Amino acid sequence: MSFTRSHLFASTAALLLACSPVSAEDLVIGTKSEPSSLDPQFHVLSPNMQVSLAIFEPLVRQDAQGAIEPLLAESWELASPTEWDFHLREGVTFSDGTPLTAQDVVFSLDRVAKVPNSPTPFTLFTRQIAGVEALDDTTVRITTKQAYPNLTVDLVNLPIMSKAAASGDAPEGRTTTELNRGEGLIGTGPFTFVSWQKGADLILEANTSYWGEAPDWDRVIMRPMTNPATRSAALLAGDIDMMEDVPTGSVGQIEGDANAKIVSGPPARVIFIALDQERDDSPGISGTDGENPLKIKEVREALFRAIDREGIASRVMGGAAVPAGSLGTPNMFGTSADHEVPAPADPERAAQLLEEAGYGDGFSITLGSPSGRYVNDARVAQTVAAMWSRIGVKTAVDAAAAPVFFKNRDHRAYSAYLASWGNNTGEIGTTLGAQLATYDKDAGQGSANAGRYSNPELDALLSEASKTMDDDARAKLLEEADALAMSDFAILPIHFEVPSWGLRADLEYEARADQFTLPQNVTRSE
Amino acid sequence: MTVQPTSADRPARTRADTPFRRIVRQFFENPLAVFGLIILVGLTVPSFLAPWVAPQNPYDIGTLDIFDSQLPPLSTSSSGDITYWLGTDGQARDVLSAILYGMRTSLIVAFSAVAGALFIGTAVGLIAAYFGGVVDAILMRTVDIQLSFPAILVALVLLSVLGQGIDKVIIALIVVQWAYFARTARSSAIVERNREYVLAARSLSLGSRRIIFRHMLPNTMPPLIVIATIDLAHAITAEATLSFLGIGVPVTEPSLGMLIANGFEFMMSGEYWISLFPGIALTLIVLGINLVGDHLRDILNPRNAQ
Repeated sequence: MSFTRSHLFASTAALLLACSPVSAEDLVIGTKSEPSSLDPQFHVLSPNMQVSLAIFEPLVRQDAQGAIEPLLAESWELASPTEWDFHLREGVTFSDGTPLTAQDVVFSLDRVAKVPNSPTPFTLFTRQIAGVEALDDTTVRITTKQAYPNLTVDLVNLPIMSKAAASGDAPEGRTTTELNRGEGLIGTGPFTFVSWQKGADLILEANTSYWGEAPDWDRVIMRPMTNPATRSAALLAGDIDMMEDVPTGSVGQIEGDANAKIVSGPPARVIFIALDQERDDSPGISGTDGENPLKIKEVREALFRAIDREGIASRVMGGAAVPAGSLGTPNMFGTSADHEVPAPADPERAAQLLEEAGYGDGFSITLGSPSGRYVNDARVAQTVAAMWSRIGVKTAVDAAAAPVFFKNRDHRAYSAYLASWGNNTGEIGTTLGAQLATYDKDAGQGSANAGRYSNPELDALLSEASKTMDDDARAKLLEEADALAMSDFAILPIHFEVPSWGLRADLEYEARADQFTLPQNVTRSE
Repeated sequence: MTVQPTSADRPARTRADTPFRRIVRQFFENPLAVFGLIILVGLTVPSFLAPWVAPQNPYDIGTLDIFDSQLPPLSTSSSGDITYWLGTDGQARDVLSAILYGMRTSLIVAFSAVAGALFIGTAVGLIAAYFGGVVDAILMRTVDIQLSFPAILVALVLLSVLGQGIDKVIIALIVVQWAYFARTARSSAIVERNREYVLAARSLSLGSRRIIFRHMLPNTMPPLIVIATIDLAHAITAEATLSFLGIGVPVTEPSLGMLIANGFEFMMSGEYWISLFPGIALTLIVLGINLVGDHLRDILNPRNAQ
């Protein structure tokens, strides 16, 4: 008995030692999901990108607000409208000690198209690139297919790998499987890879030979905690130092705790309702004698005016949202100044508009919504349904798990659906092009336009803007396009989600528009 | 619940003098069973009268005001004409009204599903028992296969194929539950098949259908009724589980399970009432059914009766 007890005591002591608080230089982050791969060119997915950006670095990066700034490329200039010369920073080495050269850049950009089986390929960011060549050891020339002002925005997403470390027998060099094991995972970034257990901790270590300012942390542990309530509880208990995406229900609790705080960032992802404006016989609409009232501008305006965006932002989103009058945030390049703030809700005017359109008695509609994909998505949809019902448009909500919802949407099973778009270019042109340009699969236009809004005037403006290199002229074209679409009520913006992070009270993090959690940017307050 | 003793007395009528009176008397001798019955009546009656007794119609979403959401119990609505006795949820539904309406949905789903499963399962079980041989083998192996899958998994798969809706939940629950009834019906019918009255009916060369449904069925009913009662509780919890997972009833017409799920996210911020009260209602109704069902089983068990 005494043996057992002392044995138990010893093992308990050992266990306690093993779980003793991590040393002061460790940063533990509770993430909302883990990366699908460590291959920086396998899957365009936020959890992957933010890990890539800790180990690797692209030629240029975006600051917290989304503005482009130099990183591995110190400067660049246009040799011709389609030829960009990037000058690499001197004295940068990979974490294995080899110097960064133009050959590494050529290798990395060439590798993108060779990575097989990618769920969302990085070719999204190289489709405008016709060729990449090394002019000398520190100069890279990138040729685009046409004049393409957004090249630097694409390059932000393309981290540079080490040619020496990532070469291999496969066409793409080191395969995704090898990189997932950490083989060839050598970058110039502030951290190096230590270990990754799928479903559990991903551990990074400070890169001792980093060329830039050293991060505040010796070790970073990224721990996937999919349940937001679990993340909040872990932060409040001190098990983690930082958490992604504070659930609206926990905001008060974290703010009221002396050891924790919340930082929230610039409005980012837009939540909107798209409307079927193509088919006459649209699923989910009834009481209209087979007509599709969503084709009538007054009806769309009525639906827009019925939505109390302030109410949704404050009551449903707990303040973690900003009402949207356009698909682009107010500070986004190309957002029309007239639509930065949505027109206030006006149910009486909405009812009047329905009357004018010949639908004074209303009609019935089903609003599709994902459940659990965006912050409080199904609740937002229900609230919109309540507001529409009040003006006489009897609305049912069909909320489904994300995979089911997206399958239904792509099969166009909804006449109205709530969805979202995250803009990664900082320009409204990409959002409008994906959501409202006339659907054309081959040209890659209107790729997310399941409402099939089509307006030749808008298409012309967007196409013109995409070729305009002059920023002022492009901004003007985009603002015109935005104003055109919004005053036609082509789509109904609801709000912008405001990303938030929970932190230990003595830490600082600048909330980022791209919603990435970058451990190198987490600092201790003085 | 009162229909069960009446239907149960039919088979017993030939054996005892006043079986119905016996069952009623025995039932009311047990204070726990009476307690269960009181809970059940106390919950089901107001929920079926919900449109008349509930302060608000939570399914008429046009009347919900988002600024009344997440109010604590005993708050007054912004318009001042409703008192939210149990508070409001995240969609500004009065929790009391939502519970009454939600319970009605839960009960309708459970009753229909159990009735459907009872009907199909009993028919299959009787046919298997009466005909025996190949028919029996095929039917009972189907039951075995069905029972080898976890019930909730089958329901999940079915609902993801069929889509949302109260009718679909009912179908899914029938598919999940009929096999239990089939197995029980078969085993009690096999006993009956060799009884003298069935042999007598056969010797009169009565049709199979008449023998099965007029002669055997009444005598196989008691165990089935007991199972049906217990299964009712299962069906309610299964429906709550499915709705909790977000694939049952539509979000705008929440059942008890969905109400609990909706309130889940508010628990962390101390808004306990959104989940707690529907949770209590669910627990009470399942408890009530189980108490009544358990005692009914004791009474209807022939071994206890003698």
